Amino acid sequence: MSRAWLVILATVVLLPIFVRHSIATEIWIFAIFGLGLNLLMGYTGLLSFGQATFFGTAAYAVGYLLKQYAINVVLALAIGVAVGAVSAALVGYLCVQRSGLYFIMLTFALNQMFYFVAYQWTTVTGGEDGMPGVPRPSLLGLDIHAPLAYYSVVALLFVLALWVMRRIVESPLGKILQSIRDNELRAEALGYDVPRMKLAAFVLGGAFAGLAGVLYAMLFGIVPLEAIGFVFSGNVVFATLIGGSGSLYGPVIGSFVFIWLSESVSAIWARWPLLLGVAFVVVVLFLRGGVVEAWARYRAWRHASG
Amino acid sequence: MLYALMGIGLSIITGVLNIPNFAHGALFALGAYFLFTLIQLLGNFWLALLLAPLGVGLIGILIEYWGIRPLYRAGHDYQLLLTFGLSLIVTEGIIIVWSPVGMSQLPPPILRGGVDLGITFYPRYRLFVMVAAALLVLGAWLFLERTRYGAIMRAGIEDKEMVSLLGIDIHRLFTAAFALGCVLAGIAGALTAPIRGLNPWMGVDMLGIAFVVVALAGLGNLLGSIVAGLLVGVAQSLVALVWPEASVAVIFGVMAVVLLVRPQGLFGIR
Repeated sequence: MSRAWLVILATVVLLPIFVRHSIATEIWIFAIFGLGLNLLMGYTGLLSFGQATFFGTAAYAVGYLLKQYAINVVLALAIGVAVGAVSAALVGYLCVQRSGLYFIMLTFALNQMFYFVAYQWTTVTGGEDGMPGVPRPSLLGLDIHAPLAYYSVVALLFVLALWVMRRIVESPLGKILQSIRDNELRAEALGYDVPRMKLAAFVLGGAFAGLAGVLYAMLFGIVPLEAIGFVFSGNVVFATLIGGSGSLYGPVIGSFVFIWLSESVSAIWARWPLLLGVAFVVVVLFLRGGVVEAWARYRAWRHASG
Repeated sequence: MLYALMGIGLSIITGVLNIPNFAHGALFALGAYFLFTLIQLLGNFWLALLLAPLGVGLIGILIEYWGIRPLYRAGHDYQLLLTFGLSLIVTEGIIIVWSPVGMSQLPPPILRGGVDLGITFYPRYRLFVMVAAALLVLGAWLFLERTRYGAIMRAGIEDKEMVSLLGIDIHRLFTAAFALGCVLAGIAGALTAPIRGLNPWMGVDMLGIAFVVVALAGLGNLLGSIVAGLLVGVAQSLVALVWPEASVAVIFGVMAVVLLVRPQGLFGIR
């Protein structure tokens, strides 16, 4: 087991001691979300600005099933993953038709479409008020209502998700995706069906987003309209970028920093998105490369200065 | 027509500068709020309508110079994050300076009331907006097709390297293009204010629509933007007649259908 894994396992165990349980849980949920985006953005070079589509759709669908039909948690998680993957397949099919700037705009525009459907379909989604009263049933007979119990479940799923993502990234498919990122024409010349591979990345990324969406809905007991909004999509892009995209652990670090940052500033000031916007600009202008690179630069600087 | 105006502005910015401008919607909202305040200050609708877009253009110049210029060589991800961050700042700024509650703005006295068009009554101000937007679109078209600066801008969309090799200051071109796009967004916002009222998030819907128009039309394709803008607008109002709740979602539906049939967009070359 590598050092990075030890650090992550230690963090998983120690985090609830230092941070409020709901925030600690949210960090890992957001990390799962970020892992999915990173497969698209970091490994395939597809900048998706619509990840909230899959996150929100899964959260709404499963939230509805949990409320109306009282399905069990295992089924809820499975359906969430499936809904995330299917919605990503639909959106992805349209988006991979285009590349570059068009691609980004399409992911955004389709995100807006899903948002408006959620906004208008009030009988199911509750519109602007969100979908309240999502229950958190017990998992295989275990009561997970206690914050710490639920944290354990989420943390376990996160570690599992991280392991799966590592397997994906190191698999032949992962290597093909990286070759598309580095040189799309060459990947095509080598005989790979590039649009299909991109679509595969979309579906996998969507599945991660779906899982995160369901966990989110069960954490707060509500699916807010923002969960499917484009600001949410932007947040996960930001988190992945500050962590450092294209590295396996980047989004994990990023969601850590992001959730901590947004939780602390939102406690200070109601207009905290302003500070968030400023943070975006500052990071982009001065800290490109994210935490991972800043750390590397710091080490190089220390090394140089003796 | 307003959609066409937004689309053209975004198309110029995206085409010339090659960046995804997520602040376009926020600038649209800013145009509306500038109009609101200028009317209160000056008491004159027409002067305010002239100055508000110029104010937005000025802010656009600042944004381009301080924010976007250092990022031309960075990836789209960082450009996106920057403009997204800026849109958050502008939106929150509007909330702080004005208010989070929606406001309304009456059209000037001459443009109130309706006109009898024979078959139906039509609000006078909407008619004015239609004509004004059509003239502006025509003006933008003439500027881009018939003037030297317009030619440079079109050349900038085609081939930036060549333009700079010909001795044209590419940075000034970028600033000008960004400012022009912002002015168009500002005008669209200012014109919209008396129709739909003002709220800090008014730009978000518009941003999505502008992206659809650009995606349908092809980058830097002026004629395409006009046709796509009209198409989207007509589709939306037709659906609004029979099923009002779906009128926004249908725009994206139109886009999806077009992209399925013609992946390169209506007039796309790339």
